[in-house]
Amino acid sequence: MQMTSGLLNKRRWVYLRDLLRELIGRDIKLRYKRSLLGIAWSLINPLAQLLVFSLIFSVVLPLNIPNYTTFLFTGLLAWNWFQTSLHAATGAIVDNRELIRRPGFPVTILPIVTVATNFIHFLLALPILLAFLLIGGIPLRTTILALPAIFVVQFLFTLSLSYFVATLHVTFRDTQYLLGIVLLLGFYLSPVFYDVGAIPQPYQALYRLNPMVVLIDAYRRILLRGQLPGALDLLALSLVSAGLLWLGYRIFIRASAQFAEEL
Amino acid sequence: MDAPIRVEGLGKRFRRYSKDRPWTLQEAALRGFRGLQAEDYFWALKDVSFDVPAGKMTGLVGRNGAGKSTLLSLVGGVGQPTEGRIHTHGQIGALIDLGAGFHPDLTGRENIFINGVISGLTRAEVARRFDSIVAFSELAGFIDSPYRTFSTGMRMRLAFSVAVHTDPDILLIDEVLAVGDMAFQRKCLERVDEFKGQGCAILLVSHDPNLVGELCDQALWLNEGHVVANGPAQAVAQQYAMKMQNETQRRTPASRAPVALANGGELRVNQNRFGSLEMEIDQVRLLNAERQPVERMQSGEALSVEMQYTLPAGLPAPIFGVSISREEGEVCFEASTAASGAQSPGSPGKGQVTLHIQRLDLVGGDYFVEIGAYKPDWSYAYDYHWHAYPLSVEPHLNEKGVLKPPQRWEWRAAPEDDTWEFEPKQSRA
Repeated sequence: MQMTSGLLNKRRWVYLRDLLRELIGRDIKLRYKRSLLGIAWSLINPLAQLLVFSLIFSVVLPLNIPNYTTFLFTGLLAWNWFQTSLHAATGAIVDNRELIRRPGFPVTILPIVTVATNFIHFLLALPILLAFLLIGGIPLRTTILALPAIFVVQFLFTLSLSYFVATLHVTFRDTQYLLGIVLLLGFYLSPVFYDVGAIPQPYQALYRLNPMVVLIDAYRRILLRGQLPGALDLLALSLVSAGLLWLGYRIFIRASAQFAEEL
Repeated sequence: MDAPIRVEGLGKRFRRYSKDRPWTLQEAALRGFRGLQAEDYFWALKDVSFDVPAGKMTGLVGRNGAGKSTLLSLVGGVGQPTEGRIHTHGQIGALIDLGAGFHPDLTGRENIFINGVISGLTRAEVARRFDSIVAFSELAGFIDSPYRTFSTGMRMRLAFSVAVHTDPDILLIDEVLAVGDMAFQRKCLERVDEFKGQGCAILLVSHDPNLVGELCDQALWLNEGHVVANGPAQAVAQQYAMKMQNETQRRTPASRAPVALANGGELRVNQNRFGSLEMEIDQVRLLNAERQPVERMQSGEALSVEMQYTLPAGLPAPIFGVSISREEGEVCFEASTAASGAQSPGSPGKGQVTLHIQRLDLVGGDYFVEIGAYKPDWSYAYDYHWHAYPLSVEPHLNEKGVLKPPQRWEWRAAPEDDTWEFEPKQSRA
């Protein structure tokens, strides 16, 4: 009996991995099947943003940040992963009603799929960022090995919020719209196109309560300055993310019994 | 051993929200978060208990809204029971909403993988079964074309093939068997039968009592969430069919001006015409191969039954049915648009529907062609003409039996060495 349940569990894990892979694969295939530009499409958006922002903040309102293009692109990529994931997560339940109604379908996987799909887009853009680093003459240091840890923290943080917005959108169908406003404000309150240091000292502690500040700063330290990110900040953020994830997941599970009815 | 499906005292209560329940945060905030609570509750299921042992098939019959699909979903683990318990053992497979999860822009091959995995198989398991899935669907030539280029029939075949290639211990089937062409339907039924033989517990939802009576071991008749009857499938299906007859009689108007028929007869309500008459079948003609009206025909000839009807706006497209029965009432042949998967256009106004029977191989005798139009959930007839269209099949030879298919007799003499062979000899001695 012990044996079989152990085997069943192993099959269950293989199954969940395969399901995740198929659902992510479906999203990515669909995105690229519809456009002639293919993979390049996921790069056009950040590159266009990059062009506009770097023009404005190098020429119109010079910020005098060294290697500004690379600096900006780091922030943009990290922010875009966060923003597109949350945006997609609002539809994770509502747009998959036939999967929700399918007997035995593990509904909790859907927000993971949206965050993971956007993580893949993020990874696909990463080589361009590395190219910018090399062009800018910034050497790749061994601190880059700490990057995966930041990925994990950002993944968990984004996922925890995804469970909240996915659940909320089932009850209130304007969540996506309101989220857009919140994210727009969040964009300016995060150091995407400016430096964390630009915030006056008295407000620094308050400012760093925004998890995206910690994350974007960590990426920049690793990639641009060859420093290790602030371990304490990241640890605190990990704990907060884990707590939020637990809470978001609980709420999601509780609400999921109603999903099939509410759709 | 425990039954794979066991349902004990199951109840499911749904919430009913007020019509102006806010669906946006904005509205909800403006109204101080009032109106978010359900204003009313209703029980979709109440006190439902039954089990389905391994290798058995249970049918669920009842009208639309009786709670059949809710019960099926709950057994599948979608949603939570409000009271009572559902125990299930093993992998659950479902033939519900078959096209769901297929994406038009992906190829047949890609869709098979995604759907196989969504249905509970690992990638390796799908890969192992891939050839068999394609073979079963008979779509080998199209498997790398986008799904959107498939016809409806092809889509059903693909969806069904994936679904029957999972190894369920429990199979939930919702009314899907009636779709697709006859040959494929047969194949699917055989496959379902195989599952049963392998010990799979099957729960089938249908509003067609005939199908349930034919396929299932046990049946459960639900009405407004309550179990009306639970027992051997044949008996329950018959009870349910009777109920439908009573419902039709109850809804038949007390009086209505008689209608003259093309064959000289007359339609009179409560004599040879029953039904709610929400829609009417105005004229019926029995036609031969040359499209001439007939009342007599030779056995084995073609027969067409043409019905002209008036469908008022707002009424859903009905199911049309034709049966041929003996004077004593024995039904020799039955067909319906629902059973054949024929979609009626459903546009209001006058319309005409014709059933073409290529050969009517009945033995000679006197028959009646009964025709009817039914509510889409079969709960009662809109218009049913009983014993209004006589049909005489020639020749009258007082043969027993029902069928008279093309036939011949063959005589052979015993060979000289007195040994019989089953195959005729190729060379003549």
